[in-house]
Amino acid sequence: MIEFTDVHKWFGSLHVLNDISLTVTKGEVVVVCGRSGSGKSTLIRCINGLEPFQKGRLVVDGFDLGSSSVRLRELRMEVGFVFQSFNLYPHKTALENVTIAPIHVRGLSKAEAEVRGRALLEKVGLGDRMQNYPHQLSGGQQQRVAIARSLCMQPKIMLFDEPTSALDPEMINEVLEVMVSLAREGMTMMVVTHEMGFARKVADRVIFMDRGAIVETADPETFFTAAKSERTRDFLSKVLHH
Amino acid sequence: MFWLQLNRVVGYWPVLLKGLGMTVALSVLALLIGSVIGFALGILRAGPNRTLSRAVGLYVDFFRGTPFLLQVFIVFFILPQVGIELSAFTAGVVALSNVAGCFIGEIVAAGIQSVPAGQKEAAAASGFTRAQQMRLIVLPQAVRVVTPSLVGQFVLLIKDSSVVSAIGLLDLTRSGWMIVQNVPNGLLVFGIVGLGYFVICYPLIWLSRRMERRGQAPVL
Amino acid sequence: MLGSLNTRVMLEYLPAIWQGFLSTLMLSAAGFAGALALGIVACALSIQPLRWLRLSATAYVDAIRATPLLAQLYFLYFGLPRLGVVLPEALIGVVALSLNSGAYVAEIIRSGILAISRGQVEAAISSGMTYLQRMRLIILPQALRPTISPLIGQAIVLVKDSSLLSLISVVELTRAGQMIAIDRFMPVEGLVATALAYLLLYYLLKLVAGAWSHQNRLPGPA
Repeated sequence: MIEFTDVHKWFGSLHVLNDISLTVTKGEVVVVCGRSGSGKSTLIRCINGLEPFQKGRLVVDGFDLGSSSVRLRELRMEVGFVFQSFNLYPHKTALENVTIAPIHVRGLSKAEAEVRGRALLEKVGLGDRMQNYPHQLSGGQQQRVAIARSLCMQPKIMLFDEPTSALDPEMINEVLEVMVSLAREGMTMMVVTHEMGFARKVADRVIFMDRGAIVETADPETFFTAAKSERTRDFLSKVLHH
Repeated sequence: MFWLQLNRVVGYWPVLLKGLGMTVALSVLALLIGSVIGFALGILRAGPNRTLSRAVGLYVDFFRGTPFLLQVFIVFFILPQVGIELSAFTAGVVALSNVAGCFIGEIVAAGIQSVPAGQKEAAAASGFTRAQQMRLIVLPQAVRVVTPSLVGQFVLLIKDSSVVSAIGLLDLTRSGWMIVQNVPNGLLVFGIVGLGYFVICYPLIWLSRRMERRGQAPVL
Repeated sequence: MLGSLNTRVMLEYLPAIWQGFLSTLMLSAAGFAGALALGIVACALSIQPLRWLRLSATAYVDAIRATPLLAQLYFLYFGLPRLGVVLPEALIGVVALSLNSGAYVAEIIRSGILAISRGQVEAAISSGMTYLQRMRLIILPQALRPTISPLIGQAIVLVKDSSLLSLISVVELTRAGQMIAIDRFMPVEGLVATALAYLLLYYLLKLVAGAWSHQNRLPGPA
C-alpha cells in the first residue's frame, strides 16, 4: 500500500528525511515514534502529499508521489489524515464536518452522506453530538469527529499525526479506543504517537526515527524488550518511565 | 431670528429628503457593487499567483493612495475624453464602488489569510479542489472575520459619498449647500445635514463595535 | 490614454503642482499636529473618572465619526461667519482637518491603552514600582508603541482628506491640478500629475510605517 524507496527531504540545509525505505502492506498497523524534530510527522505528511520530497520514490496505493503528473486529489480520497490539532471546520456542525467531503468530493447525495456520517459518529460514540459545533465539543470529542470525518470518505489508508498530543490526559483514552477498534477491523494505519500502550496493543510494527532516519524497526515485543539501537533504548527509557 | 431661519430651513424639507434618499441610494448601490469587486480583488490578492497578487496590490494602492475627490474628477472629466459620457450619478456610483472594492478587497484578503493553515491542509487532505477549499472552507470563515470591518467600511462609504456632491450630484451635502445660499446660517443648515448623516451612520457604527466585541468566529 | 498625455504641459505646470504639493504638505502637517493634540486631550477625558467629561469626549468622537468631513467643513465654512468669526479659508480647513482626525486619533490611543493586560499592571505593582514608574516604564511604552502604525495610517487619510479643502477654494494640490484643467482645458494632464504627487506622499508614509513596524516588532502572543 505504501512504499518508500530511498526517500530524502531537505528543509534548506536541514536533512529532515534521510534515506527512508519502508513498506507498509494492506491491513498493517505501523506506529512511528521518536523525539520531536526527528522527522516522523514529515514522514507521514509525505504520504498524502502535504509535504513534497526531493529524492527517492514513494508509491501509495499505486500513485507515484514523485511524478509531477500525480493526481493528488484522487490519492487523497483514498488516504484519511488525522491532525494533532483536529482542524475541524469551525463553521460546520459535527455532522457537516463529517459529510462535507463525501458530498463535494465523492459526489454523494446529502442523504447518503448523512446516513454514512451518522453511523460513523455513532460508532465513535458521538451520536448525541451531531448538531454541535466544534467549539461546543471537548478536545477528545473533536478528535473523534475528525476521525469520523476521515473515515466517511471510506479511505483505504488512515494516517494519524500525533492524534492525542493536544489532548488533556483524561481524554486520551476515548480517542485511542476508537483507533484500537479501527485497527482490529483491519484498516491499514500509520500512526505517529508516543502512546506506547497503543503500540503494544495493536501495532504490527514499531518504527523509531531519529534525525530524519529510521533507526529501528521491529515488532512491538522485540521493540520494547530487545531494541538493538542504543538511541532507541535511551528514548524508550524516557517515555516509559513517566 | 433663529426660529424664523429654522422655519425656512424646515420649509426646504423636500430638498433635504431627496438629498438623503440620493445619499442612501448611492451608498447602498456602491456597497453592493463594491462588495463584488472587493471579494474578487481579495481572493486574487490572497491567492497563490504572485504576479496577479502584485498587480492587484498596485491597482488597490493607486486608489487607496489618492484622494477620493480626485478619483471622482478623474471618472467625471477624463472618461468623457475617451468617449464614455457619464451622468453625475453614474460617475459617483463608478468611483464609489471602485474605491469601496479596493478597501473591501484588502479586508477580504486579510480575512482569508487569517484562516489557519491547518484548515486548508485538512481540506486538501480530504481531496477538495482549490476552488472548493476556497468556497466551502476558507471563505465562509473569512466572511465571519471580516463582517464587522465590512459594516465599518459601509460607514466610510456613506461619508465618502458626500464628496460626489462636488460634481453637482444632489445628495444630502449638496442639498445643504444649496439651502445655505438662501438661508445664510451654516451652523443651522449643516447641523441638520450632519444630523441626517448621524441618523444613518451611528447605528452602523454601534453595530460594528458590538460585533467586534462579541468576537466573530468561534475560536478553536 | 496615457500615451496621449501632453508632457510638455505637465512640465510647464510643474511649478504650480510643486506649490500645491508644498501647500498640501503644510496644511496636512498643521492639521495632524492639531489632531494629535485634540486626540490626546479627548482620550485623556474619556478615561478619567468625571462622568460628564467622559460623555462629552464620547459625544465629540461619535459626532465626528458619524458625519462626513465635507459636511463638517461646510459647517465651519458657512457657520463661523455667523458667529462673527472670520478666518482665512486655509485656517478653517486646518481646523476642520484637526477636529475630524482628532476623533480618530483619540480612538487609536485609547485602544492602545486598553489593550494592556491587567497582568502587566499587576506584575509592575508586585515588583514594587510606584505609579509613575509603572506608567513610565511599563504602561506608556507598551500603550504607545502599537499606536504608531495606525497613527501613520490616519496621517495618510488626513493627507487625502485635505483635498476637500479645494472645495472651499484653498489652493492646494487638488486645486492646482484643477487649475491646469481649467486653464488649458487639459483635465487629464492636471489630474494625472496631481494623482502622482499624492501617490508619492502615500508611498513615503507607507514606507515610514513599514520601517517602523519592522524595527519594532514586539515579541509576544500573536
